[in-house]
Amino acid sequence: MEESTKTLTIILTEGPYRSQYADMAHEIAKSALNNKYNVNMFLYMDATHIPRKGQNPHSFPNVLEKYKALVEMGADIRACVRCATARGYACDAKFPYIQGITITTVYDIPEWIKTSDKVISLG
Amino acid sequence: MNSVLIIINKAPYGYEDAFSGFFVEIACLNRQLVADVVLIEDGVYAAIDNQNSEGLKFPGVGELTYLIFPEGNIFVYNNSLKERGIHKEDLMETIEIIDDNELYELSKSKEVVIKI
Repeated sequence: MEESTKTLTIILTEGPYRSQYADMAHEIAKSALNNKYNVNMFLYMDATHIPRKGQNPHSFPNVLEKYKALVEMGADIRACVRCATARGYACDAKFPYIQGITITTVYDIPEWIKTSDKVISLG
Repeated sequence: MNSVLIIINKAPYGYEDAFSGFFVEIACLNRQLVADVVLIEDGVYAAIDNQNSEGLKFPGVGELTYLIFPEGNIFVYNNSLKERGIHKEDLMETIEIIDDNELYELSKSKEVVIKI
């Protein structure tokens, strides 16, 4: 009998480097993916800074590399269009985020809630 | 999962959180989820009647609350009001004040709690 797949949704509101929430979300998502969960992550408010290309922090581990790995493992990571646009990240030809991240609306939160087995908010 | 509680604990002006929390609430209601907001700590300032944010150049959070009723409720935590010297008559008519037990029961009744 095939094992059923469950879905975890993480709503993250805090940006990188200022706190450990982005790292905590990464660890939880990685663990869930390793346990055969589907993982959705919605980046809201300052969390929309996380997937920006070209980060080069000198004193902290690069959060971008961690989120790249999550995308490669199959996580569905989306950023709020209102929050991203306010921070200078637009859906234009110079797409600001790493491959696999999408910019979308806050309406994905209720849609994901409906289909999730667990929802965690961090921030 | 179909029921949501959104907790807002930041002041409505100077922070983006209350504004963003109400947006999530409105999105949830528009997608037919049972969704309510609870304001705690400095978040209770979002429940004050006759807000005027013109001078601040911030969008008025008070106006957003009218998009929530009657499908959703906005609750404020009584202890947070008391600590700030805010009285029932200072609040918008539609706001409900809740105590410790009611906050506990409300949280327990929801499948998802989102802290903004």
